[in-house]
Amino acid sequence: MSEPEQLPTPPTGPPDPDAGHPRMEEAYMWNAVAYLISGPVLFGGIGWALDQWLGTRFFIPAGIVGGMALSLYLVWFRYGTQQ
Amino acid sequence: MILHVLPSLATADGGGYQTPTTADFYQPLWNDGPFAVTRPGVVLMLSVGLIAWYLIATTRKAAIVPGKGQWLTEGIYGFIRNGVARDIIGTKDFLRFVPLLFSLFVLILVNNLFGVIPPVQYPTMSRIGIPIALTLVVYVVYHYIGIKRVGLFAYFKNLVPGGLPGWIFLPILFLEIITFFITRPLTLALRLFGNMFAGHLLLLVFITGGEYLLLHSAGPFMKLAGVGAFVMAFVLTIFELLIEFLQAWVFTLLAATYIAGSLADEH
Repeated sequence: MSEPEQLPTPPTGPPDPDAGHPRMEEAYMWNAVAYLISGPVLFGGIGWALDQWLGTRFFIPAGIVGGMALSLYLVWFRYGTQQ
Repeated sequence: MILHVLPSLATADGGGYQTPTTADFYQPLWNDGPFAVTRPGVVLMLSVGLIAWYLIATTRKAAIVPGKGQWLTEGIYGFIRNGVARDIIGTKDFLRFVPLLFSLFVLILVNNLFGVIPPVQYPTMSRIGIPIALTLVVYVVYHYIGIKRVGLFAYFKNLVPGGLPGWIFLPILFLEIITFFITRPLTLALRLFGNMFAGHLLLLVFITGGEYLLLHSAGPFMKLAGVGAFVMAFVLTIFELLIEFLQAWVFTLLAATYIAGSLADEH
């Protein structure tokens, strides 16, 4: 007598009551905008203050670009890597 | 409110077309200055009354086989409860936040839809103060539950995700603090405000412009352009309905992610 073939559990069915938060990661993507604004504004602002203080002109662009890079890195680190 | 004539409609004495401006959104109905009763204020109160009446009326005699009203209420409630609160905050903690998220969603949705529903036709959220007030509620909630759960010091420490190289900790901490305390609430309020404000201004331009071209301009081409403007106004009104729903959903979704972040071990 042959064993009845074991069917794989169907992906659909009643939702698991302990499923956690299945859509949290996906919804977190909306937060990326806030990070991408924070970086250039914060470090651009620091650059502006340094420029005012030291009488230079290159800290603003450096701050904006550096802040953007930091923001991108953070977004990648938070949402783009498996921790 | 209903019979409010748009101040931007062209005057009959041929004064030319006046484009709608931001000033058109300030519409005091009674009194002026800081204690004025304005049109958005009245619309907001109207929406609260309507929502309360509708929710009570459709759920007071809840039946196993729901009627149309109960079906709609349960559909919206289920969408927020399961689709937003449970799926994002998680099965363990979500229930106590459902009332907040549901109230936020319904309030914003009805007020947004008022932007195109005659005879109200005023999106309350196009006055920045109202999105700011709603954002403040969310802001207090997610910081409060986060600080209450782990304490003030650990709350700040947890802002930075673990596993980063050590030298980058300080700049990332600054970045996270700015994001959590300034950029997040700012974008939350501005996104809702900007979408409603810009959408309504766009409709104003096409409708008042179409009216001017059709009735106050000379020449068949101008009148044809007026018809085109009305067609655009119709298309954009449909589009605006979509945006209004979407923005109410996004606001609720983001509020849920902020709460979920405060409840998670790492943000």
